[in-house]
Amino acid sequence: MSAGAPAPDVVVARDVTKSFATAAGAFLALDRVSLTVPDGKFVSIVGPSGCGKSTLLQIVGGLAAATSGEVLVDGVRIDEPRPDKIGIVFQEPLLLPWKSARENVEFPLTLRGEPTGARQARAQELLALVGLADFADSLPHQLSGGMRQRVAIARGLVRRPRMLLMDEPFAALDEQTRTRMWGELLQIWSASRATVLFVTHSLIEAVYLADEVLVMAARPGRIIERIEVDLPRPRTLDMLGSPALGEMRNRIWHLIAEPQP
Amino acid sequence: MSSRVRRIAIALVLVALWETLYRAGLLSPLIFGSPSLVYAAALKDGGTFLAALRVTASEMLAAMAIAWLGGVVVGVLIGAAPLPGLIFAPVLSGVIALPLIVLYPVLIAWLGIGVVSKIAYGAAAGFFPVALAALIGIRSIDARYAEMARAIGATPLQIIVQVKVRLALPAIVSGLKVGTSLVIISVIQSEMLSSTDGLGFWISYHRALFNTGQVYLGIILVLLTAAVAHMGLSALEKKFGAARVLEQAAG
Repeated sequence: MSAGAPAPDVVVARDVTKSFATAAGAFLALDRVSLTVPDGKFVSIVGPSGCGKSTLLQIVGGLAAATSGEVLVDGVRIDEPRPDKIGIVFQEPLLLPWKSARENVEFPLTLRGEPTGARQARAQELLALVGLADFADSLPHQLSGGMRQRVAIARGLVRRPRMLLMDEPFAALDEQTRTRMWGELLQIWSASRATVLFVTHSLIEAVYLADEVLVMAARPGRIIERIEVDLPRPRTLDMLGSPALGEMRNRIWHLIAEPQP
Repeated sequence: MSSRVRRIAIALVLVALWETLYRAGLLSPLIFGSPSLVYAAALKDGGTFLAALRVTASEMLAAMAIAWLGGVVVGVLIGAAPLPGLIFAPVLSGVIALPLIVLYPVLIAWLGIGVVSKIAYGAAAGFFPVALAALIGIRSIDARYAEMARAIGATPLQIIVQVKVRLALPAIVSGLKVGTSLVIISVIQSEMLSSTDGLGFWISYHRALFNTGQVYLGIILVLLTAAVAHMGLSALEKKFGAARVLEQAAG
């Protein structure tokens, strides 16, 4: 790619609408949401609870169908899960308790019937990437919460997807572990060169990690603002206390807290 | 003293007490028998009873195989099917509450008084708790595991076999435990009602002749069979059961 040329968009969502039938009539969870995520970028989505951010992620991941509109990932229309293009990390690690860390990371390859040697080597590579090379044979219950979530990230990346969807992956962790995971994730991200779409309800987390923050509002769920994060990379923990970050955080807070027209 | 040694000691004391009370004339030999009567019965009819044990055990094994396999397959399929499957749960638990014994005369009319009717009756009794436990086990799995499996590319069949069944194993194993007890009870029960061989048949036969030693010999063999089954299932439970999962979650 020549310098200066815009990066191609890995994710393109056009007018994604999702409505649910409820007893009180149709509920509009997402109202014509459009977004693009350029190749290799880290984009966060924040918004109040009930704004449909997780629903949006599910639709982008092919786990839920949009009522109307379409999603393209790497040029392919998404209407079912595409683990070859998209890795998904959920709020809980959802590791299979009887499988070791390595077997859990291998599992997407096992399902495809890939030969044992190849998939073990690949899983070991991923475990090294997330800093768990020495824990390959540990069972999930022997790992800490943060380690389990790193195994889940490795599993999401094992099929070399173009993008990683993360649905509040650190929400269940304590604050210190979460802060440590931010550094880990940024490292994993730059090593894997995957594009990341990261849903969170933590404003600090959204700003600290991302190149760009999409702010959503509820009723109906929609994107109300797109904020470029101009903090330099690599991000350091000192930036958490910087005025620039605080300012962005406050701006997002006002967007979320004040009633939108 | 280890608990095993203690248990054996308690059993020996009870047997000695039983014999002593009998010798003292405090126990009616017709109703309570005695260890020495059982021993005499074993010397006299041991061969017959061992042959009967073989018949009964093979009936139980066949009935267990049908109840286990059929129950797990049906329970898992209904459990994994989309919503309407829940309709079957009350039906299955309703059938468990039925006194299946009323159907036994019908089974005999269809299948005769030989081995086949015992297997059918035992399998029918064991099937429903196994199927119900499998159904409920599959239904109780955290739905997010299935979503995760879908996200990493598992086919619907792979989700059932490689994720759901495995996660439901503790519930399935406890169903197998209940089902197996019912198989054992039902096979003996049906042998006692009408048959030509088996432990239940010989217990009934000797009871009619007031051969109390033989009756108790048969009872002891039935208890031993149940104990062996219980030990096997406990081993299975230790490997896959709920306690193991709890221990993992806590660890």
